[in-house]
Amino acid sequence: MLKGHLDMIVLAALSAAGPAHGYAIIEEIKRRSGGAFDLPEGTIYPALHRLEQAGLLKSSWMTADSGRRRRVYTLTRNGNRALVERRAVWKQFSDAIGGLLGGAGPRENPA
Amino acid sequence: MIQDYLERLARELSFDRSLSRCVRQEVEDHLWEAVAADSTGDALAAQQRAIANFGDVRAIAAQFAVLSFARHSRRAGVAAVLVIAGVFIAMKARIAWYAAAQWGISDDMRAVSGFVVQIDRYAFWLSLIVGLGGCVYIVSRQIPATFHPAYRRQLRRFFLLCSVAAAALVVSVISDGVLAALLLRGTDLSAGVLVPIVSMAIEIACVGILVVHIRGITLRVASTAALLNA
Repeated sequence: MLKGHLDMIVLAALSAAGPAHGYAIIEEIKRRSGGAFDLPEGTIYPALHRLEQAGLLKSSWMTADSGRRRRVYTLTRNGNRALVERRAVWKQFSDAIGGLLGGAGPRENPA
Repeated sequence: MIQDYLERLARELSFDRSLSRCVRQEVEDHLWEAVAADSTGDALAAQQRAIANFGDVRAIAAQFAVLSFARHSRRAGVAAVLVIAGVFIAMKARIAWYAAAQWGISDDMRAVSGFVVQIDRYAFWLSLIVGLGGCVYIVSRQIPATFHPAYRRQLRRFFLLCSVAAAALVVSVISDGVLAALLLRGTDLSAGVLVPIVSMAIEIACVGILVVHIRGITLRVASTAALLNA
């Protein structure tokens, strides 16, 4: 289930953390999810590259304090827009599931 | 230990050298940072943990393979359009040269050349329309996280479009070659002869580039499939 939402999770973490490298993004995900999302760390990198190819992120190389080359990712305007859309879809889905599991009566369709 | 892991990862990603280099640097930074953040004080155990948390080399390489394949396919789509445009420019330049030099086809070959011109025209337009269609099709597809069946079908369609465009372009270039040969048949050797010869060489090179890209797709299908099936 987590795999299907990985893109949204990465976008949300980057939105919260600001420009960050892969390790910092993973740490942000762990911190904000209270350690609930403990996925193999390597799976984040293909997702970052894919999101960059889709134009939702951009990256630049810099030299870290350690002297190692580091790739830092930033959310683009399209990435921000995509995150807003995904948040809205997620909220709708979460409300619907919450309504079902909470045993509440049928919700009124706003449309 | 980390170096061994990075070597293995780079080897698995060897199908795309620039990607392999870039991922290696990124992962190296990640793993050493994970080791630095480890508070146990045991460097060897910290490296083991960092590697274990990062995941299986082949599984990561397989995800990158899908990405690399998608990028290569998009590049091939754009290359197809550029190559067809290149052939068009070379063809038009040659025709302009024929007009400027007042070269024409001899009367006895006019019927044959008329037939070849028709083949050339239809083949070229077919390659342009199909090539453009293929490019728009693949560029507008979303890059998937996995090599799922729907994406495989999309790639098959794109490969088919590319192959049809390339085949039509080959026919068009062969027709151009026949027309150039008919024109040069009774012409004395001079520096002006070089213009159609060079323009034909450019057309042939363009077709070669397209064929190399299509071959690249088939090779990547094989390497991606091998990684996914492992």
